[in-house]
Amino acid sequence: MSGHTPPAAAPATLDALQSALAAEHAAVYGYGVVGANLTGSQMAAATADWVAHQVARDTLEAMIRSRGGEPAAAAAAYQLPVTVRTPGEAAALAVLLEDRIAAAYLGLVALSGTALRRFGALQVRAAALRGAAWRGSTVAFPGLSAAALAAPRRRAT
Amino acid sequence: MAAHPTRRVVLAAAAALPLAAASGCDGVDVLAAPPRPGPAVSLLRSAIAAEQLMVARYEAALDGAGAPAAVLEPLLSEHRAHLAQLRSRLVVPAGSPSPSPSPSGRRAGAPAVPASPAAALAYLRAAEQTAAAAMLDRLPHAPASLAQLLASISASEATHVPVLDAAAADRTGQAPG
Repeated sequence: MSGHTPPAAAPATLDALQSALAAEHAAVYGYGVVGANLTGSQMAAATADWVAHQVARDTLEAMIRSRGGEPAAAAAAYQLPVTVRTPGEAAALAVLLEDRIAAAYLGLVALSGTALRRFGALQVRAAALRGAAWRGSTVAFPGLSAAALAAPRRRAT
Repeated sequence: MAAHPTRRVVLAAAAALPLAAASGCDGVDVLAAPPRPGPAVSLLRSAIAAEQLMVARYEAALDGAGAPAAVLEPLLSEHRAHLAQLRSRLVVPAGSPSPSPSPSGRRAGAPAVPASPAAALAYLRAAEQTAAAAMLDRLPHAPASLAQLLASISASEATHVPVLDAAAADRTGQAPG
């Protein structure tokens, strides 16, 4: 072990950061498909969001390294959850990507560090804003599943 | 700007085939942790009071002249959902006095929303920004599951801002005054 190895963070912190990174890897891949099916201002919007996800990915990789972890690599390819052939389907995929991103960053909000919580919450907000733009409407609980909302006290973790 | 896939379609697609290849870990699992009594309760009460105020502001704006109901109603119903979800987390021991006697948050002295539609939209926009920021300020001391709910609500409120902006832009594009 070299003297430059940072102290390892709590496993829960690294797990949550890796989950967010996995979602960002998927979003970077997915937005490539989104943009390929759009034109004009919609393609420009997809490109802007694609870049935002690359920046977020880089940020998470740096956060993981600074905590003594090794950032997980992107998969070579991702099986898309929807078939994308039309602009409407491209927008639907973008919505789906942002929902997953918001959920992943809520994992950071559950950690105990104040700075990590705030970082996670701001990323949830960014995902919610992008998602609302693609959806054309807002939602009450970005990132939270119906199950989480229906039974908030069902079991203790 | 985007096409309008219905939420049902999108959620169905989400259920059908998970996208993430790398990790099955779902950070939202920790949501199930119960709120502790004590500091969490006062935190929750302040969040509930904040959402009651937002509901009251939208109701007052909708009662006023000319505010675009088609824009405001969906936002109001999201605030009502926030309020209901926050209240569902509040576990009050039997026999405790209730600090919130007004169940709907309505008409306990309605907020003074500006009368002109443009000013009402600007008022609501500022209120949303303040409320979203205040939700974030509650995060440090919240139990994990409540922190996630507050962050989600804050994000939802942040998404209301561009909706109100678009409504204001529509108005100025149509008819001044």
